[in-house]
Amino acid sequence: MTPAVAVLVSAGRHPASDRARRADRDARALELALRLSPPGNLHVIHAGDPREPALRDYLGMGIASLIVLDLPPAADPIPALIEYLKGVRPQLLLAGTAAEAGECSGLLPYALAQALDAALAADIAEVALAGDRVDLLQALPRGRRRRLSAALPAVVTVGSAAPPARPFAFGPARRGRIEIVGAAAVPDAERAQWQLRPARPRPKRLKVATGGSADERLRAATEIAPGRGRLLVDPPPIEAARAIWDYLLAEGIVRS
Amino acid sequence: MTIRRDPRAELERRRQRDAPAQSATEPSTARLRRDPRAERAQRRLGGEATPPPQPSSAQRAREASAGERVGAPGPGPSPAPRFIDAPACLILAVPDLEAGRLTAHDRDLLGAARILADSLSGGVVALACLEPAAPADDFGSAGVDRLLPARDAVFAGYAPEAKTAAVLAAIERLKPRHVLLPDSAVGGGDLARRLAVRLGVRLAANVQRLAADEIACRGDGGRSDILRRPPLIIALAPEAAEPVTGARHEARALDPMAFAAAPRLVDGGLAAIDPNAVPLKEADFIVSAGNGVTDWNAFHTVAGVLGGAEGGSRVVCDAGLLPRGRQVGASGTLVEPRCYLAFGIAGAPQHLQGIARCERVVAVNTDLHADMVKRADLAVIADAQAVMPALARLAREKRG
Repeated sequence: MTPAVAVLVSAGRHPASDRARRADRDARALELALRLSPPGNLHVIHAGDPREPALRDYLGMGIASLIVLDLPPAADPIPALIEYLKGVRPQLLLAGTAAEAGECSGLLPYALAQALDAALAADIAEVALAGDRVDLLQALPRGRRRRLSAALPAVVTVGSAAPPARPFAFGPARRGRIEIVGAAAVPDAERAQWQLRPARPRPKRLKVATGGSADERLRAATEIAPGRGRLLVDPPPIEAARAIWDYLLAEGIVRS
Repeated sequence: MTIRRDPRAELERRRQRDAPAQSATEPSTARLRRDPRAERAQRRLGGEATPPPQPSSAQRAREASAGERVGAPGPGPSPAPRFIDAPACLILAVPDLEAGRLTAHDRDLLGAARILADSLSGGVVALACLEPAAPADDFGSAGVDRLLPARDAVFAGYAPEAKTAAVLAAIERLKPRHVLLPDSAVGGGDLARRLAVRLGVRLAANVQRLAADEIACRGDGGRSDILRRPPLIIALAPEAAEPVTGARHEARALDPMAFAAAPRLVDGGLAAIDPNAVPLKEADFIVSAGNGVTDWNAFHTVAGVLGGAEGGSRVVCDAGLLPRGRQVGASGTLVEPRCYLAFGIAGAPQHLQGIARCERVVAVNTDLHADMVKRADLAVIADAQAVMPALARLAREKRG
């Protein structure tokens, strides 16, 4: 039996041009689902406006149909998605780490994992199904990767470290079917109380020395920050190598 | 004819004139003397009569070592600690702690917690999830009033579920007003969302600015700021607040946290990656070559054995000995690895700019007076051609 795999997609916005597009991380999540072997029984789901032009971009990636839970813009998508997913019972649910419009808190996959009683893994770059388990590769800062494994069902959020999504083609985008499913709209009461303001970029923090005399502050600003300085002068190569190795080991840079 | 001034007589006259006014408060001396004990008592919030506990000898030793540290000039003597005995409310901060140490993001987080605590006349509690043997970092200088340790072997690896259980138990025990976490992808950000759904509350993610009555979260794909009341769970963006400097807090250790979790994720450990496939800017460990390197086979070998990304100075990249993408410095890449191992690099100002944000620098150079040697945490005055093969051989031996 092929496991049911669900992908949640949202309408994105280009950060520079502000044009409607497929959300980058959601498209990467769909890419991971399309690369799965054996390919699961794929459900691609969007909660929101079915007339959104960006949804055609996902169909252009080569999927036959897209399910849209028809919701007004002010509605909370979580109850409608939980309701629908309880019918589908996906073994694996993929979504981008955060949307590109709206609150962008990235809370939705967590809420769904809680409702579906599934394991959750964040910021995943690779997914492989292995029987009733899923093997994952999690992206860490500084280019590191961690192997994870979880029993199905599992919810996986996909970050920018995942392979880039395939380009979309115009023909499949036109041919693809959008299936509209009615859903109960629950208004988002808390969101109505928020105030929105255009974001301004924050200046990058500068390292400013404080305290000490003016002379010390000037020297801190203009001179090289000295290290804590252990100095070995003309040691034999073996001794030098041992000193460097011990230092790297003590600081946890290398493991023996 | 001018009369000569008599400063001593003038001073005497002035003293006599001022004396009646001052004598009411200061009977003996004109100059006010400091009373450190009274000052400390005044600083205590919710001050009651109990004398302040003297800093322990370990704490004093820590202060002394902090004062001696070479680096950016701090305020000469270490600041007097600040005690908060009866906080009106608690702010729980959960730092990420990389190998038991506070990251830069964690220090910003504790600075933000300090702002909230001070405006609510509360105290900052930090929950430190550590391995049983790992030493705790210096939380007092980062602005922590109480330290809540949670020690368990699972925290050696990746254990988001155990950490969630620990924070939930801490929330249950302390009833904090706010819980602050760093909004990092697989650390605090993940934890904050797990907590929010477990508690059934809505979190404030990617918070850029915070005060006791209003916070600004960046939403809408970075185009808008959402202004709202601060909720229970707050996930803070990097550099959203200034870290605490020039103040020492108590960091009194509370009873360790007990918790129980049923983990579903199995940690398979870090995967081996090709360090040179990672962009140089993100590299964790860089082995770099300069004009002092002539044995390139030995350089590539030692970089490969140590598992470091290769970097180079402008001179070697200009000469075509390393690709241009590997150049470190003002006209190349500004790198920020945890460790930078430099072979035969003298340290031109442009190169030192490139490594300004490196945490640790190891330099191997023949010139004792090179700027790189001044910058280095460990400097070896020797020929790189002799040290590189020896280091590669040693690393192979140690790894077996």
